[in-house]
Formats: sequence, C-alpha cells, structure tokens
Amino acid sequence: MEWAGLIEAALPVMLKGALYTLMFAVVAMVLGLLLGFVVALLRVGKVPVLSQLVAFYVSAMRGTPLLVQIFVIYYGLPGIGIELEPVPAGVLALTLNVAAYLSESLRGGIAGVERGQWDAGLSLGLSWWQTMRYIVAPQALRLSVPSLSNSLISLIKDTSLVSVITVTELMLATKEVIAQTFQPLPLYLGAAALYWMMSASFERLQKRVERKLELAHQR
Amino acid sequence: MKKILLATLIAACAGHAMAADLLDTVKQRGTLKIAVEGTYPPFTFKDANQQLTGFDVEVAAEVAKRLKVKPEFTTGEWSGLLAGLQAGKFDVVVNQVGITDKRKETFDFSQPYTYSSAQLIVRKNESRVFKSLDDLKGKKVGVGQGSNYADMVKAVNGIEVKVYPSAPENLQDLATGRIDAALNDSLLIPFAIKQAKLPLKAGHPVGDITTMGIPFAKNNPKFKQAVDKALNDMKADGSFKKISAKWFGIDVSKAPTAAK
Repeated sequence: MEWAGLIEAALPVMLKGALYTLMFAVVAMVLGLLLGFVVALLRVGKVPVLSQLVAFYVSAMRGTPLLVQIFVIYYGLPGIGIELEPVPAGVLALTLNVAAYLSESLRGGIAGVERGQWDAGLSLGLSWWQTMRYIVAPQALRLSVPSLSNSLISLIKDTSLVSVITVTELMLATKEVIAQTFQPLPLYLGAAALYWMMSASFERLQKRVERKLELAHQR
Repeated sequence: MKKILLATLIAACAGHAMAADLLDTVKQRGTLKIAVEGTYPPFTFKDANQQLTGFDVEVAAEVAKRLKVKPEFTTGEWSGLLAGLQAGKFDVVVNQVGITDKRKETFDFSQPYTYSSAQLIVRKNESRVFKSLDDLKGKKVGVGQGSNYADMVKAVNGIEVKVYPSAPENLQDLATGRIDAALNDSLLIPFAIKQAKLPLKAGHPVGDITTMGIPFAKNNPKFKQAVDKALNDMKADGSFKKISAKWFGIDVSKAPTAAK
C-alpha cells in the first residue's frame, strides 16, 4: 500500500529519466548501426590499412568495459584538450561501443551468405559494391537481425552507466528518489519495470522487421 | 592527423600556462559551476518537489552569491565528482569533501567549513558494543565507494569491508543484517535514521575529527582568497550558523559531539 504511494510520487521523476535513457539509446542505435555497417564493410572488403585499423578498434571496444570507455571519453579526453559535454560524451561512448558489436553481427551475416551468391552477382557483370548492395546485403541483414537486436537491447540497459558522467537518466533519477526516501526495493523494481518496457517495445519492433525480411522466404 | 594532434596538445598546454585565475574565469562567466552528489541527504539531495536542496547546496549557493555570480549545480555520482573536477568540468565540489593529504596533492581546498567525525551505525537491537574499529575485526562493515570512511576501515586489518554506491543501499543492508555496522558522517546519522524509517541507531564515534572543505583546481590563489573570505563573512554575520542550525540543530563550523 505504501509502495503504491511511493511509486506514484517517484514516477514523474523516473519517467523523465527514462526519456533521457530512451534518447541515449535511440541516438546511439542509429549512429551505431551506421558506423557498424561501415566497419563491417571495411573488414569484409579487406580495404588495406583501414581494415586493420577498424579491427583494432573492434577489439579495443569489445575488450574493455563500457564504464571505462565512458570515463576515458568524459574525464580523460580533457587532458589532451578535447572537452565534451555530458550528453555528447555519453552518446559517443555508447555509439562507439555498440557499433563494434553491431559490426561483428553484420560481418557474421555477410559471411553467412553463400559464396555462390557472390559468384552469381559478379558473373552477371555487377561490381563488388553492386553485388553487396543488391544481392548480399539484403540476405545478410535478414541473417543478422536477431544478433543485431541482442546488441541493441543490451544498449538500452547499458545507458544506465552514463549516470557516472552527471546525466540524470533513469538510473540516477531512481537513486535520487531513493536518497530522499531510503526505500531501495520498490524504486529499483520500478526502474527495472521501465527498462523492461523499453526493451519489450524494441522486441516488438524486431519481430516486425523480421517478418518483413522474411517475406521473400515464404512459400 | 599527427599535426592536428600536436597542435591541439600545444594549444592545450599554452592555454594552461596562460590561464587566468579561476576567480577571473568564474566572474567572466557569471556562474560558479558547483558539483554535488544529489543523493547524500541531508547535505545534497532532491526534496519531494525534486528541488535540489540540503546543507551543502545552501552553503554553496551562499558562497556563489558572495562571489557575485550565479550558482550552477550539476548532480552526479560521487565516484565521478572528483574526476570531473580534475578534468575541469566544474569549478568546485561542495559535497562534504574531507580534506585529506592525498586529495591535497591534486586539489587546493578552501578553509574547512564543516567539522564532523566518523561514526558507526548499528541495528536498533544490536547488543554487541563496538567502541572502536578494532572491535569490528572479523565483522562486516559497510562504507561508501571512494569515501574517506572506506579508507579508514581498509586501514584496519581484519575488517571485512563492504563498499556501497551510496548511503541508502548501505543502511538497507545493515537493517537486513547483511553487515554488522556502517560507517559514515556523524552529521548524516540523525537525518538518515529518521528519514529511512529503518530499525537503526547511532553507534560510537570512531577515529579523529574530520574537516570538510571545498576543493578546486590547484594554483588559483585569488579564487581561494575569495572563497575563504566568503566563508569567513558567512560565519561572521551569522548566516552560516543559520544554515547549519536549519539542517543539524547545531553549528557544524565547530568541533562536533557525537550524534544520537
């Protein structure tokens, strides 16, 4: 009973935090997909120098904790004269991090398309890029959707880490209410419910995309 | 690429060497950038209307007023506050920052504005008596991440130290019996116990009296002088005493007695 009143009082603040969380997630998703696609192409195309460079980037991003990356970008970069506000710093860290994972999912998708598809495209006189664009990429996308969604759903929850750079997203908003009420359990549960709702709506989006990409494969 | 990097580096260094005193920067900007935790009642927290409030918030706002600039508050987790100050993200941190030798290597401090002591918190029905940290050997003690209380407890061999992100989690775990005692600021205790509605009570004060100051970037003599003057004036004209009485019922600019 007491919980209901508590949640009711805390909800406006937490919803405002959730809006920040959603903003971080959506912006980082879009930018991350773009960057991830470029990285995957550079690696699949074996572009000299650049492909080694992005391989190094992917390894570094996957091999270090996101929390450390956020600290380096926000608190570390001013040391060499690069000043970023909290929101751009958070978006940059999340984007760089998720793009590394997304690029690997896309690379897996591209590798999953049979070699014969390439041969067919090239034998028809299509260029490498045209073959990728019209034949391989659409099939690769269909194969990579589940693992892309995995990374993107993780991203929604990873936004909680940007609370360390003074952004009042959902997690920090929750902690602020807890500091005022000393009632961790109901409020953390409330935050969990909000994260879950955001992830669940993303899952529905994933299903729709999957169904759309599946159309060509229906019999 | 290398050239750009080099140019940025040179610019950064040059900027540093020619930097004006923080006081000039603040005056020119017209605002004092103040970082607080926002989750550390009764020092810095949000009230039921989501307004940032607390003892430190009022002190900081008063200091800004006396520097004739507007206060601009940022809230963030304690683990990031001093890192942010070091990186120049804000001018000062006003969040009961203990003046320690280690911190003095990185920052300059204002004169102390709060005297406090570390004090134990235990369960209400606790029958064991812990008079000092030595009595807690073999027991579990909860402290805040990166706090001087964490350093105090870690300095005693044999205590099982549990590190918490902030006070509410720490006190909750104490109430449920996962730890034997918590160590925090004596000034926090009456407020926390009242607000938390948890079955807790104040334990013995331990260790020396700690002094809290306002840290800022090194080598800003004019800024230090201005902040110290503001604090002195506040103490002299009674406005500090008023803020202190409002939050604690006592004047915390003097050495403390233990909280009940």
